[in-house]
Amino acid sequence: MFKLDRKLVTIGTVLALSSTLTLTASAADESVYKSKPGAIDGGVTYPRENGNYTAYRYNEQSTKGVNFGRPATANEIKAWDIDALPDGTGLPEGEGSVELGDELYEAQCAVCHGEFGAGGSGYPQLAGGNMDKDENGVIITLKNQRVYGSTDAPKRTVGTYWPVATTLFTYIRDAMPYAHPKSLSNDETYAITAYILAQNEIEIDGEEMDDEYVLNKEKLAKVVLPNRNGFYPNIDGPDAQENIRAFFADRAKNIGAGTRCMADCKDPGGKDGKTPPGVVEIKYEMSDVRPPYAYAKDLPPEKKDEAAHPGKKAYEANCAVCHKTDAMGAPAVGDIQAWATTLKHGIENVYKNTINGKNGMPPKGGTSLSDARIKEIVDYMVSASK
Amino acid sequence: MAKDMKIKAKEKNGVVNVKVMFTSLMADAEEAEKKKIKPEFITYIVGKSNDKVVFEATTSGFMSENPLMKFSFTGAKKGDELEFTITDNHGKTETGSKKIK
Repeated sequence: MFKLDRKLVTIGTVLALSSTLTLTASAADESVYKSKPGAIDGGVTYPRENGNYTAYRYNEQSTKGVNFGRPATANEIKAWDIDALPDGTGLPEGEGSVELGDELYEAQCAVCHGEFGAGGSGYPQLAGGNMDKDENGVIITLKNQRVYGSTDAPKRTVGTYWPVATTLFTYIRDAMPYAHPKSLSNDETYAITAYILAQNEIEIDGEEMDDEYVLNKEKLAKVVLPNRNGFYPNIDGPDAQENIRAFFADRAKNIGAGTRCMADCKDPGGKDGKTPPGVVEIKYEMSDVRPPYAYAKDLPPEKKDEAAHPGKKAYEANCAVCHKTDAMGAPAVGDIQAWATTLKHGIENVYKNTINGKNGMPPKGGTSLSDARIKEIVDYMVSASK
Repeated sequence: MAKDMKIKAKEKNGVVNVKVMFTSLMADAEEAEKKKIKPEFITYIVGKSNDKVVFEATTSGFMSENPLMKFSFTGAKKGDELEFTITDNHGKTETGSKKIK
């Protein structure tokens, strides 16, 4: 009987043979990329078929019975293809001023990212790092090591760390505000992007961004952030792939020593170096999805709006940032179960926690409203979650 | 180089709401030793509008890096200049101003 392990050995030999053959064949062809010993994925070449190569190990497992789905429709591709390249390709039309961005930022972003982008507890700092560079053009704060005894971590803000400003726009548009992303229009996103760039004292075409500065597609594409050349390998332009391959191929120089083991590895932690490595297997394989994945993309039925509650407007202005969904850990308005838990110790307790703050919830939600107003808002949130 | 301060002042119903953030390491002797830098912190802050003092504070290394102040005052209108002067422990002064909106 042909045992499984023998089969593996045979496949291994065949692979090794074929790779030797193809490598010899390619030696004459200078255009084919050659990997160096010790290279890791991305910098390695694997033979595929008909003399073709791939940078990653070609998976030869049988794909019989695997369902690859259907081709994406033109509309699906259009909805997916929304990124913006460093040169501004893909940015939508629109414009926004620093001043408008300031207003929007204060209403929707400052709660987590702090006034002037100075950062909040646990949320990223957006501005404020010192952008001074050393003699090699490296931003000094990025050289701070996270080592024991050091109190100064590298400050990674838009001004000190981000390489490209167009991704600032796409990131805000697609992922922010945290609790309800994709709620900003293109103009609003341009305004907030402008505000954050202005807080980082970025100059566009040598022009300082004051309050009246209006940012648009063309101007955003011209922004050069201080850390533009701080990343390696260079992943831009037509040579990107070659740059990346060359980087990963010379592992000893670019990444560090050490050899990679993919077969017959000895346990590196074993005392004698001979103990076989412990193989961890998945205990509970996923075999079913219940309920099955749905293809229906209908929106939930809209509720008929009740007469506006007195606390509703104030809730939307001050509390919805966190309480609209449960993404921030706050009980989401409309989540019956979460509010049942919250109300377990009585409504007076909820009032008290709201006014004095609890865990991540700042006192009065960071507002300066009166106690009575706060109670009104709580009443609204409770009534909307029954 | 980073600017010394960021000022935001808005007038509404006769009250001017001010937020101001100063750029300083605010490192007292103990912290400076850990970070291997010279002590540097703001010791005195004064805010003036129309030559009247509207904010004044004596500070030390107790405040965090890049301290943020919020306050409000009355008696100024839109377009007036709001001016801050800070003095640090080396006696160096820095001034910044902005028009009230």
